[in-house]
Amino acid sequence: MTASAPTGTPAIAVEGLWQVFGNDAKTRLKDAQGRTGSAPDAAEALRDDGLIPAVQDASFEVKEGELFVIMGLSGSGKSTMIRCISRLVEPTAGSVRIDGEDILSANAKRLIELRREKLGMVFQHFGLFPHMTVADNVAFPLKMLGKSKSERRARALEVIEMVGLTGREDAYPRELSGGQKQRVGIARSLAANPDIWFLDEPFSALDPLIRRQLQDEFLKIQSTLHKTIVFITHDISEALKLADRIAIMRDGKIVQIGTPAQIVLNPVDDYVREFSRDVAKGKHACLDSVIETSDELPEMPDDPKLRIDMTLDEALASCMSCYQHVPVWDREGKMVGFVHPSALAAALQVDPA
Amino acid sequence: MSDVSLPAPSVMDRLTPGTKAALLTLLVGALCLALESATEFLPVWPEAWTLPVTEWIGVSLEWLFDIIRPAMRLISAALEYPMVWVNWLLVNTPWPLIIGATVALGWYAGGLSLALMSGVGLGFVLASGYWVEGMNTLALVFVSVPLALTLGLLIGIWSNESARARPWIEATLDLMQTVPTFAYLTPLLLLFGFGPVVGLIASAIYAAPPMARNTLLGLQRVEAEVKEAGVMSGATRLQQLVQVEIPAAATQIMIGVNQALMAALSMVIIAAVIGGFDDIGWEVLLTMRQANFGQSLLAGLVIVVFAIIIDRISARMATSRERFDVRISWVILAVAIATSVLAWAALPAPGDMAVLAPTVEAVDGALTSFTRSAGATLDSIKNNAMFYGLLPLRIGLDGAVLPFTWGFSWTANMSYALFAVAGALGIAVAMTGRMAFGMCLPIIAIIVETGVSDLPWPFVLVGLGAVAWVAGGWKLTRLVVILMLLIAISGLWPRAMLSLYLCGAAVIACAVLGGLLGLLSAVSNPAWAVIRPVCDMLQTIPLFVFLIPVLMFFQIGEFSAFLAIIAYAIVPMIRYTRHGLVTTPPEMLESAVSSGATEWQIMREVRAPYAAPTILLGLNQTILYAFAMLVIAALIGTTGLGQSIYIALGAGDVGLGISAGAAMAILALIADRIVQGFAEERRRALGL
Repeated sequence: MTASAPTGTPAIAVEGLWQVFGNDAKTRLKDAQGRTGSAPDAAEALRDDGLIPAVQDASFEVKEGELFVIMGLSGSGKSTMIRCISRLVEPTAGSVRIDGEDILSANAKRLIELRREKLGMVFQHFGLFPHMTVADNVAFPLKMLGKSKSERRARALEVIEMVGLTGREDAYPRELSGGQKQRVGIARSLAANPDIWFLDEPFSALDPLIRRQLQDEFLKIQSTLHKTIVFITHDISEALKLADRIAIMRDGKIVQIGTPAQIVLNPVDDYVREFSRDVAKGKHACLDSVIETSDELPEMPDDPKLRIDMTLDEALASCMSCYQHVPVWDREGKMVGFVHPSALAAALQVDPA
Repeated sequence: MSDVSLPAPSVMDRLTPGTKAALLTLLVGALCLALESATEFLPVWPEAWTLPVTEWIGVSLEWLFDIIRPAMRLISAALEYPMVWVNWLLVNTPWPLIIGATVALGWYAGGLSLALMSGVGLGFVLASGYWVEGMNTLALVFVSVPLALTLGLLIGIWSNESARARPWIEATLDLMQTVPTFAYLTPLLLLFGFGPVVGLIASAIYAAPPMARNTLLGLQRVEAEVKEAGVMSGATRLQQLVQVEIPAAATQIMIGVNQALMAALSMVIIAAVIGGFDDIGWEVLLTMRQANFGQSLLAGLVIVVFAIIIDRISARMATSRERFDVRISWVILAVAIATSVLAWAALPAPGDMAVLAPTVEAVDGALTSFTRSAGATLDSIKNNAMFYGLLPLRIGLDGAVLPFTWGFSWTANMSYALFAVAGALGIAVAMTGRMAFGMCLPIIAIIVETGVSDLPWPFVLVGLGAVAWVAGGWKLTRLVVILMLLIAISGLWPRAMLSLYLCGAAVIACAVLGGLLGLLSAVSNPAWAVIRPVCDMLQTIPLFVFLIPVLMFFQIGEFSAFLAIIAYAIVPMIRYTRHGLVTTPPEMLESAVSSGATEWQIMREVRAPYAAPTILLGLNQTILYAFAMLVIAALIGTTGLGQSIYIALGAGDVGLGISAGAAMAILALIADRIVQGFAEERRRALGL
């Protein structure tokens, strides 16, 4: 894990966020909250009233440079959630702060500034402007920023090269394949070099091969850019592959937030367990999820050279013949703790359903 | 409902809504017939119950007009300038240049075929000797269309931006398109004064709604994510509209431009009735009145040529992205300019062209000799249709069956016998389980015996209300009954019934004939290859031109009007029927085939039910088309509301014009809502 010290304010802080669809939602939500007391009861009361509580009392923080994935099935409210954070829809209650600034109280002018300078977004069905070429699509946010034509073109070509579309800059969206279209979407969202990057199911509309390819390239881009990312998906393996942390949503509620290993190893309820059932745990959980530390070191006769960022599968394979505690090292070769092989095996046990 | 209800469902609960409605209508009909002789207020809406609504409208409008007239006259004067300029420009531009420019545009938009079509078409206009009149007409179109487009675009954007205004705007657009074309003219005439500017304004008003509708539709259809991408890029609302949403909706908006062009042309031609402008519509009207059909046909063809060229080029530019080498267009234009300059003096004046004069005379002669020799046959076709079809429908068997037509006269006993047979048949059908259909038989018998124009008003009111209830529940029933009462109170009931009768007859004919042609087109590709261009053609021709051929063969009268309405209104029925039948999802067909269904079984069991909502929409369009044509057909002799509107135009009676126009719009609206209701119900039943 990156050892960045926790800096003061989180990049994104969401607190008590509600999105209720229906007439007069604001007052009726307040009313329901007053009557019931707890969020689930209030949501129930609203639902009985014929309103749709799409996001209920959501709270979480995203650190700077963190890749935060929100995962849930269709109808779980994840798309509404990202639209609340980006204020594409007006949340009913709660607060969203970006770098400490409450964006829900930002006026129209400030909101436009924020979007021009700080936020970028990628859409599930690409959302490309059909009447513009690839380059014009990518340059559009720059045009909004008031950049000159030559400046726009230069920057657009730069981002287009980054997503591997060089040579296609004068094509129209209709002439591109799905994968190429999403590369344009990604390029456009990065053109103005935003700090915060929203991705709404960016790879869901692509076929599996292309999806994997784009995921890998996405990780590569992120490893150089270090954006703060909110990434929406309905695919658990995509979430586990990409995320620093995952929030799992169900029926408008966040049911668990944790690292991929925590989600896989310690599911908070049956719903989350059901997701991780088909996932081979050993591939996703790393040693850090089972490591022990103590001032008093146990006897450790063998050293199979376990590293903290090894997956459980890899670790188990290297200590097949060890029967006592073994040390765990970090990248720099410093010992950070120890683990017993039997604890490794136990962690890999599939939960009884 | 509480659980205290009856243990077993009562008889009423088991009846379908359709059966209940039919039963109620039948009861009221029977009651009316039984009491017909005893009471005075049942058969016709009593005079004492009417209010002088027409006069009130007239007086209040005249009062209003007096106030706003100076402002309107100012607008009219202001519009006069561009019209005169464009007119001067078109008439004085050497004709080779105009033809060349059109051919160049045709090439650019659609390649060789459109270039050829433009060249040949305009060549024909030149040869016809109607060049100047044609340019006069085009001048009106070219000034009114930019007005209509601007107006339409703004209205479309406004309704997209304001969710609160949208329902009101849509209702207004509905009204603007259902109010018959002639009804526009009377108030405009009073406001703007006599002259071509009225035609120009009328056509701008008439052409704006399709533009507004398509703009709104296009803006609404822009993908949500495309709009969001604009927002997230930090665009202001104006930037979103101008740089993202309007360009993304361009195709739909261009379709609006095409429709607005066609509507404007159609209205400009219709506005020729006002006269005072030497345009091609006036030429048609004049020659038609002189019974100079060869000439009239020629002028009509000039209109058709304009319509087709404008339509095909603008439609191609709207829907196809393909453009042809623009250099060739420049070459064509250069040649045209060179010809104009070099041959300036030698060019014949376009108005003097009489190349086609001998042809016209020949056609005229042929027509005269044909109508003379085939006159008996034509007359007998007309008379048979009138005596055995239209007349009984209008005034009923009890009025239409006379010794000199049917060979005997209708007696009261015959009526009883008819009712008895219909009743017995109805009961027999009802026994087989088709209750609603069974009940409809005696209802039909009542209508045929009495005639639409003589139907007791409570029967019509309850019958329409009941149908509305089946189609759209209480809300629709309330609307229909209130609107019909409005017509009755304003004293327009008898005329409305006459309009309803002619329209109904034409729609039934269209439904049967158009349905069959649609079916034929669906099963046979060769048949569609023939029918399709005919449909395209009929839809492009301005309403007015339909009158020429029917007049040639059947003279002035109701039958000609009937034919003209059918010719215009049948097209949507054919198109939608075919479209509905051929667009069945392939997996549905495959599962039917794999169940061992024959072609015919597939048609009946799979295709037809699936197509039902689409076919109903076609019927809806047919009804609206029929109402639109009904007013135009008033020029060649129909009774009813259309005639009132026409008379009002002649007399400058704005009260009568508006109220008769409103009554017509009401009838169209009612028919529209009811059929839409049925289509919606079908769609829901199919889960579409």
